[in-house]
Amino acid sequence: MRLPIDSIRSIAARLFLTAAAMSLVVLLIASVLLTAYYRSEAEEVFERRLDVYLRAIVADVSESGQEGRTGPGQLGDPQFELPGSGWYWQITRLDDKSHEIKASRSLFAGTLPKLSDLGVAAEIGGFRRGYAPGPDGRRLRIVERVIDVGDVGIYLVQVAGSGEEMEEQIARFRFALIVAFAALAIALAIGAAFQVRFGLRPLRQLQRELASIRRGEQERIMGGYPSEVAPLAEELNLLISANRDILERARTQVGNLAHALKTPLSVIVNEADAAPGQLAQKVQEQAQIMRDQISFYLDRARAAARGGALGAATPVAPSIEALLRAFSKIYGDKGVIFSGGADPQLRFLGERQDLEEMIGNLLDNAGKWAKTHVTIDVSIEAASRPALRVVIDDDGPGLAPHLRMTATQRGRRLDETKPGSGLGLSIVVDLAAAYGGSLQLNDSPTGGLRAELRLPGF
Amino acid sequence: MRLLVVEDDKDLNRQIVRALEQSGYAVDRAFDGEEGCHLGETEPYDAVVLDIGLPKKDGVTILEEWRAAGRDMPVLILTARDRWSDKVQGFDAGADDYVSKPFHMEEVLARIRALLRRATGHATNEIVCGAVRLDIKAGRVVVDGAPVKLTSHEYRLLAYLMHHGGRVVSRSEIIEHLYDQDFDRDSNTVEVFVGRLRKKLGVDLIQTVRGLGYMAAPAKDAGDKR
Repeated sequence: MRLPIDSIRSIAARLFLTAAAMSLVVLLIASVLLTAYYRSEAEEVFERRLDVYLRAIVADVSESGQEGRTGPGQLGDPQFELPGSGWYWQITRLDDKSHEIKASRSLFAGTLPKLSDLGVAAEIGGFRRGYAPGPDGRRLRIVERVIDVGDVGIYLVQVAGSGEEMEEQIARFRFALIVAFAALAIALAIGAAFQVRFGLRPLRQLQRELASIRRGEQERIMGGYPSEVAPLAEELNLLISANRDILERARTQVGNLAHALKTPLSVIVNEADAAPGQLAQKVQEQAQIMRDQISFYLDRARAAARGGALGAATPVAPSIEALLRAFSKIYGDKGVIFSGGADPQLRFLGERQDLEEMIGNLLDNAGKWAKTHVTIDVSIEAASRPALRVVIDDDGPGLAPHLRMTATQRGRRLDETKPGSGLGLSIVVDLAAAYGGSLQLNDSPTGGLRAELRLPGF
Repeated sequence: MRLLVVEDDKDLNRQIVRALEQSGYAVDRAFDGEEGCHLGETEPYDAVVLDIGLPKKDGVTILEEWRAAGRDMPVLILTARDRWSDKVQGFDAGADDYVSKPFHMEEVLARIRALLRRATGHATNEIVCGAVRLDIKAGRVVVDGAPVKLTSHEYRLLAYLMHHGGRVVSRSEIIEHLYDQDFDRDSNTVEVFVGRLRKKLGVDLIQTVRGLGYMAAPAKDAGDKR
């Protein structure tokens, strides 16, 4: 079954609305019950009062009959004296033709209707009770009883009271109840809202943690969670580590494949080198194609593995220091000096291997062309999203603007005499793009080429 | 010059060793990490060609162990893992240069020559000592402009002495650096080769330092013709 509430997307709204609906129902039922109970209590009090008056009059009539007078004295309630007050009594003689009627002063010129005429059945003890319109048209509650005072006669004694007073009382009670319950409803709503907020706080915290994992600021979900959310957090952690494992396995397999293919390829190439001829030339040619294909698909496989990577933040400084050490050895012969570095606080949002691949290729390219110096500098660029700006300068011949585009295209090598696969700069472009970064080539203030790499980081 | 090649692929190992031998080096070979590590620790090599992916013990570990033990011979690493992070790991372990697979043998030879030159403090592929010019790239010896034909053993002896020109080299050092480990070493052969070399070169280049060994240096009385 699909409840209308199922279409509400927010758990907070669901919880709040159900809590509010429940409170509303409970409050409504409570107010109906309370009003009904109050009314029955009020009616009983009213009824008892009428009874008391009736008994007093009946006793009075009996006594007065014995003393030779008919009609009660004072009932002690001024309501019976005020005309049209709503409180009346009336004594009607039944055994006499004259139908002599005595009534309270409040009844003035009117008479009360007889319940016996209206067909109201008598209770045990000769009482009749019921509602009937009074002389001024008001609805009255009437209690009547026929009494036989022997020689004095048979009388119908009636006491009537208007329910107005009671109704007013009940209305006042209802108003007070509504005010109180409305206040209660507001308090409950605030309570429910607070409860929902408090209850759902772990979920919001979980969401924040996941976001910072995605941004690479933390590796796993750390916070202590209540027992309902803790299994979810645990599962997420397992998922994240499974994700990392898969990535690591994919990398390892790719590396193994590289090793497995490249060694036999080396053997073939060298065998062909040693035996010149047409066949050897063909072998060389095909081996070169295989070599290119291997690196191309290795890059693709690595890029695919990278797509699944979650939350890695790599410190920049150690990688750059290691690369500078390596390049000082590689280009030591040539006399090129590599210098620079990065603030130890800086982090790259991605895998270390990828960072080293990009900077390594740029440094290698700079080293190939530089006369004496290659410098690297890393700074933070405060934009809407902070980014790392890696600048590598060399003092080589530089590159004409129209060649810069070509240099960054896949597989292009501008100068075939320099060693290298020719994929260097285009790999950097591809990798940077995979991370949402970019590579720009400009003139360097030191006279050569400046490579500017922008990468996500902080 | 005596080299070590550690490579688990039998064909590639054979090819590298053959190429190095043809270039006039004495070469030892190892096919797994443990064997290679042991040889590098115990034998005095002038340079090592080391594959990174080896059975039993990987190249980076071997290199770290050698460097920790104070073995400072130049090491050229061969690696199929050609990402910079892999190379950096190799360099940090103590490698001096690298060659990515697949490679042409010429590249390995050129890197080895460069490493040997660097280790002995020579800037070019041509070592000159008095009237004798040694072209280590072509493996040629020229005396006063005239080429001299040498056997491989004679060439190795001359190359080693000239790489270490001006320094006294003991007979045992020569034996250790001239022959691979399988060679039947007889210290008398050194004297025989020195004698033949002197005759073939015709100039007084190899000095006998009594009780210590030999030294490549232009003869004082002959003077420097250049």
